[in-house]
Amino acid sequence: MWSVRHIVASRSIYIERSDEMVQSKKQKYMFLAFCLVPTFVLFSIFTLYPLVSGLYYSFFDWSGASDNKEFIGLGNYVRLFNDAIIPDTIIHDYFLVVTKVIGIMILALFFAVALTQLKIKEAPLYRIVFFFPNIMSVVVIGILWMFIYNPSLGLVNSGLGFLGLEQYARPWLGDENWALPSLVLPSVWAGIGLFMLVLMGAISNISKSFYEAAEIDGATKWQQFWRVTVPLIWPQIKICILYIVITTLNGSFVIVQVMTGGGPNNSTHVMGSYLYQQAFVQFNFGYGAAIGVMILVLSLITVVILQFILRRDKIEY
Amino acid sequence: MKQTVGQILGKAGIRIPLILWSLAVLYPIFWMFLGSFKSNAEIYRNPWGFPETMNFQNYIDAWANYGIGTSVINSLIVTLVGTALTLVLAIPTSYAIERVNFRGSHLLFMLYVSAMMIPMVLGWIPLFFLLMDLNLLDNIFGLAIVYAVSQLPFTIFILTTFISTIPRSLEEAAAIDGMSPYGVLWKIITPLSMSGIITVTIMNAIQFWNEYFMALIFLQNSKNYTLALAIDFISNEAQYTNAWGTLFAGLVIATVPVIVLYAIFQRRITKGMAEGAIKG
Repeated sequence: MWSVRHIVASRSIYIERSDEMVQSKKQKYMFLAFCLVPTFVLFSIFTLYPLVSGLYYSFFDWSGASDNKEFIGLGNYVRLFNDAIIPDTIIHDYFLVVTKVIGIMILALFFAVALTQLKIKEAPLYRIVFFFPNIMSVVVIGILWMFIYNPSLGLVNSGLGFLGLEQYARPWLGDENWALPSLVLPSVWAGIGLFMLVLMGAISNISKSFYEAAEIDGATKWQQFWRVTVPLIWPQIKICILYIVITTLNGSFVIVQVMTGGGPNNSTHVMGSYLYQQAFVQFNFGYGAAIGVMILVLSLITVVILQFILRRDKIEY
Repeated sequence: MKQTVGQILGKAGIRIPLILWSLAVLYPIFWMFLGSFKSNAEIYRNPWGFPETMNFQNYIDAWANYGIGTSVINSLIVTLVGTALTLVLAIPTSYAIERVNFRGSHLLFMLYVSAMMIPMVLGWIPLFFLLMDLNLLDNIFGLAIVYAVSQLPFTIFILTTFISTIPRSLEEAAAIDGMSPYGVLWKIITPLSMSGIITVTIMNAIQFWNEYFMALIFLQNSKNYTLALAIDFISNEAQYTNAWGTLFAGLVIATVPVIVLYAIFQRRITKGMAEGAIKG
């Protein structure tokens, strides 16, 4: 009995005292709804719902007309495993991932060290120039590089001719063996600036005293690079690698679509460009969705594995 | 400071790759400008040299006969509507997540941020049919909405960082003076986070101006093409039409606005992108 009375009493006090608070609570929720609901509704409609229903579509055989959507269970996934092009697209994607990571990281790291540690007067100029391709449209980059690789007019072949190496000249993007490797250079060209900047930021945060100490201990520049610079900027190196991997797996198809459209003879198709072809050119929307699920799963697995491999305790001296 | 001969030589050695890479970056861009002034015959005769005369015919052709004029207007509309909508949607949410205490605010933030890592290509198939049902397929305003929502995670992510640096005491003082939370958001928070708002807006604008793949999927009629699509179209046709000069003019028209933005906002753009990469 006592407890009930106690609760009732305290309740009534609470209610009397907080009439104003209830009012302001209501106002607070109104304000929160104003801030959050419209954004979240649009985000749900245009991002969350498409992702979830993409998963749903992957269980249907569907050519796009609304009436003939047929549930086929895992049929699209069975087809995925039996499609001879799929393994190629996966290999092509990871080929681009690996070559881009190596190419971009070596050059970006080299340039970052050169521009921060060797007092070069015109360093800001290089920084501005190297970054610029990062904000150019992939379409512009792709078309420019199609010209550079152009068999008759292109810079590459005329450069080889100039050096007397005509026998190496070839239609780069039209050659089944060379088309995919030819896509690496534009990607590296377009990507270096950003990662160079991130690494420059990290290097300039390293205290000079580490290098002075290393100098006294007789470490060469090369040793200083491996023993001081690399360990101390390892977190940023790791972020750069992860970022390159994610953006390549999620976006390599754009440059493929612009430069080769997946050809010649499927030799440059990556998962995303194959999805585009299956879904929006051949109208196999269900199968396209299954490829989309595969891309999602593979990129998530890759990121998790990479995080595990790159795990290296942050070094603090 | 004294430098030994070895150091001076070392510096010269280090400059060679730096200069070579600068050339590799600048020459294709430079050459794109040169090509836009050449006639087709000249491009074949002398693809990599200077034009003989400054000839603006390519620009006239591109603008009037190859649909670049229409596509520039479309791209401008998509970019302006897209960036404005992104801000309208992102500023209140960023403020609420960062400054208003409510259950689930962290979860909501994580939901938005994790969307930056998800490959959206899976979502584009259902999105295609959703836009069709909403009558927004092949519609530049539909595309602008899709763009705006696609940049929400990044924008919220950057804006919350900026808002977190605004002293709470300013909001509290305004609230004591009787200002409503809407007033605080509009008159205190928005002006004080202007630097962040400008940074994300420039980056979103460049993103929307350059975007290609979603436009390729969601636009169909050439009247609705954005600049990226129009150029891609000319490029695919050029094998048959040989309109290379026109194509170069199109590339220049697409790139000049980006160069101008970069010239004005170089620091903001580089800093914003580097931060986006590090924290994302």
